[in-house]
Amino acid sequence: MKVDVRTKLLIVAILSLFALIYQDLVVLAGLFLLSIAILLAFRVPLRILGNMKYMLFFYLGLILMQSFFVHSGKPLLRWGDLYLLTTDGVFYGATIFFRFSILALSGLLLVTCPGGDLVLALVKMKVPGEIILMIQIGIRFLPVLKDELQNTLAAIQLRGVDLKKVYKRKVIKVYVSLFSPIIYMIYKKAEKLSILLELRGFRKYEKRTYYRDISFSKFDYFLIGLIIIISSLIIIGAERYR
Amino acid sequence: MSLISLDQVSYTYYGRKEPAVSSVSLQIFKGEKIAITGLNGSGKSTLAKLMLGLLKPQKGQVYLHNCPIEKYPLPEIGRKLGYVSQRPYQMLFNTTVYKEIAFGLKWKGKTRTDTYRLTREYLEYFDLWHLKDELPYNLSEGQKQLVVISAVLVLEPEFLILDEPTKSLDKKRKKHLQSILYNIWSRGTGIILISHDRAFIKDFQGRRVHMVRGEVDCDES
Repeated sequence: MKVDVRTKLLIVAILSLFALIYQDLVVLAGLFLLSIAILLAFRVPLRILGNMKYMLFFYLGLILMQSFFVHSGKPLLRWGDLYLLTTDGVFYGATIFFRFSILALSGLLLVTCPGGDLVLALVKMKVPGEIILMIQIGIRFLPVLKDELQNTLAAIQLRGVDLKKVYKRKVIKVYVSLFSPIIYMIYKKAEKLSILLELRGFRKYEKRTYYRDISFSKFDYFLIGLIIIISSLIIIGAERYR
Repeated sequence: MSLISLDQVSYTYYGRKEPAVSSVSLQIFKGEKIAITGLNGSGKSTLAKLMLGLLKPQKGQVYLHNCPIEKYPLPEIGRKLGYVSQRPYQMLFNTTVYKEIAFGLKWKGKTRTDTYRLTREYLEYFDLWHLKDELPYNLSEGQKQLVVISAVLVLEPEFLILDEPTKSLDKKRKKHLQSILYNIWSRGTGIILISHDRAFIKDFQGRRVHMVRGEVDCDES
């Protein structure tokens, strides 16, 4: 069943808010599992979840860094006077891991919304037109940027540059080369876009109309009710646990 | 022995129902001159990307020198097959025209003297030497195209794949490009020309592979 984008935005907002408010590891772990369950329920392609594996090294780094600087708790690994791993360090590291993951996972929920629907949702929420336009351009630009980056990377390699070997030698020079066509492309696209916007009379008239419309269905109201009940249960449960 | 071989290759872009390339089998031999023709969206550029290993076929296999293309790293493919994209700006990433041509030579391990000599030779051949200090992005589309072609050719690939090279060229430059392609081919470099420019293909005089909706409609010498 089709769910209104505003309902999804509400879920994202509540999950993100909880991730920022709660610091308890058990609550955050519960929210993390809930985020995955929601993504599965909304049939977010699991392929996207696979991309998160690249973040694992970042999380691992965070856990190690926390362990290195947080000296409270029982030492798990030490080298002379230096604490390499402590129970509290692992605890704080895991907390940060869950917090970041919930924020990223909840954001993935919006992947299932068509870009146009997101814009319409913001319009209905009375967000200023200029801000909506910026978000809209941002959404459209991201896949284009990714493609451009991949194309340039391929073009550099097709000229005989082995990026695996270059890493040790002239890494900065090659990556600077990589960004010059991207910056050029962004500049050119922005320039063309501003001209096209003016040609189509952007901001010429005060009221702007939209070809499509979005509206809440009965299922949306049911979901919102469910969200309120689950959120209340989480708040009560977290308070009792504390 | 074929240089590039495609065996029942199919490719469908993510989110599309219709395949861009469907069960294409082709044998391309060393030093051949081939024009791949077809309407917009017939799968010509996708076929080129499959030949270069930039896209991985969902069905079938692409071979380079009888070895599956995925066995080759991209720089190795680039040394064998020179590719000029239909969007030349995507292939420009240096601050001057001279550096753009010299880039590949430096990575190939050429000395400074050889790099200068070859860069000058190619820039003069393409009538671009006077633009050597220009920022490549400031050039006209036609000039950008020629810069990319020279940057690829200077590396002396076995085959040159050109995707819509005449798109931004005027009549005079098209004629110039035609004679350049003939000279390159005469020196033993094979050429795959992807285009829907009928007049240019007629003058190109090579094997013609015509594509319709991702399939090879006719393959004639």
